[in-house]
Amino acid sequence: MAKQGDTEANIFYADTRFERMARRPGGVSREEAIERAQTAVQELKTDFIAWIDEQLGELSTTLDDLAHNPTDKAALERAHQKSAYLRDVGSTMGYTLVTFVASTLCDILDAYIAGAPFDKNVTDCHMDAFLLARTDEYRHMHPQEVPELAKGLLRVVEVSSIVPPGDGKE
Amino acid sequence: MKNSTINLRDLLILVADPNSYLRRVINGMLRGFGANKVMEVDSATGLFQALTSQKVDILLCDMRLPPHGGLKLTRTIRRNADNENRTMPILLMSSDTSESTVKNARDAGANIVVAKPMSPSGLYDRLGWIVFNPRPFVDCATYFGPDRRFKIEGYPGGVGRRKGDKAIEVAAEEGPSLNQNDIDSLFSNARAGQD
Repeated sequence: MAKQGDTEANIFYADTRFERMARRPGGVSREEAIERAQTAVQELKTDFIAWIDEQLGELSTTLDDLAHNPTDKAALERAHQKSAYLRDVGSTMGYTLVTFVASTLCDILDAYIAGAPFDKNVTDCHMDAFLLARTDEYRHMHPQEVPELAKGLLRVVEVSSIVPPGDGKE
Repeated sequence: MKNSTINLRDLLILVADPNSYLRRVINGMLRGFGANKVMEVDSATGLFQALTSQKVDILLCDMRLPPHGGLKLTRTIRRNADNENRTMPILLMSSDTSESTVKNARDAGANIVVAKPMSPSGLYDRLGWIVFNPRPFVDCATYFGPDRRFKIEGYPGGVGRRKGDKAIEVAAEEGPSLNQNDIDSLFSNARAGQD
């Protein structure tokens, strides 16, 4: 461990172009900027459900591939990536429940990557949950508003994420 | 920061994320904030091509950007003394907000971490924070990047290694995912032992 006071460090303010330019007068007020950004996000919503369905279709195909060959690392990574995409965009676009389901699926896929045994029933139940979560009736809901679904998925994560001793890959 | 105005016009903003839809969402948010020059790339390859061909003003980068992730990329940018973008603000976006991940981001030289999924207000406030709370840069043998010293946790490694550092207590470690306020506090620039 380094002793106190034995390292020379050059400390300076970079004063980047970003900082200088962003402080210029004439910008958009915070309130207006956020309102405009929300409008921009709103405009993207028209094709969001089509994007979700495309991602779910690809995710389903990848999970089927995994069911046939659970050791297919590339398929596992692809499934994780698709699931992460859904998780990262869902709540921003008003699909809070999609983010929750995707988040639990990511946790399970993380466990599979770490060596937990693949179980198609587990991924199937997540795909079913996605179909419910994408509907207009459910998409805005928070997990606490659908406690049975939320508790069920969290329980599935808990049970199916157990990595057998000595089977960890990392 | 809440009442401050930021002006993003004519600033070149680079958004690096493998998720094409998320890039569109972020692009839309930034244009809503007044940005008119937003570039998108989906990988580190595209990112370095962009960085070598022009001066980028700020980078918004996914923590899992393929192939090696945002942490390695941030270190590479900060450590390359010949890179004119070396001091540009780097905002890492991550759905993994465990304390260790956030600290790793900070130690790699990121200015701030934004939790995914992100909201327009969350992104705007983080950008504003970079603008109105500039942190000094530290250039030493083992690190180049924004000052990492923070009031709540003390010196990296627990020991003040710079001349003039004073002794201070270090906070306990670990915990589950952090919310955006917790992340922000890890990046606040009150300098331990000196403020």
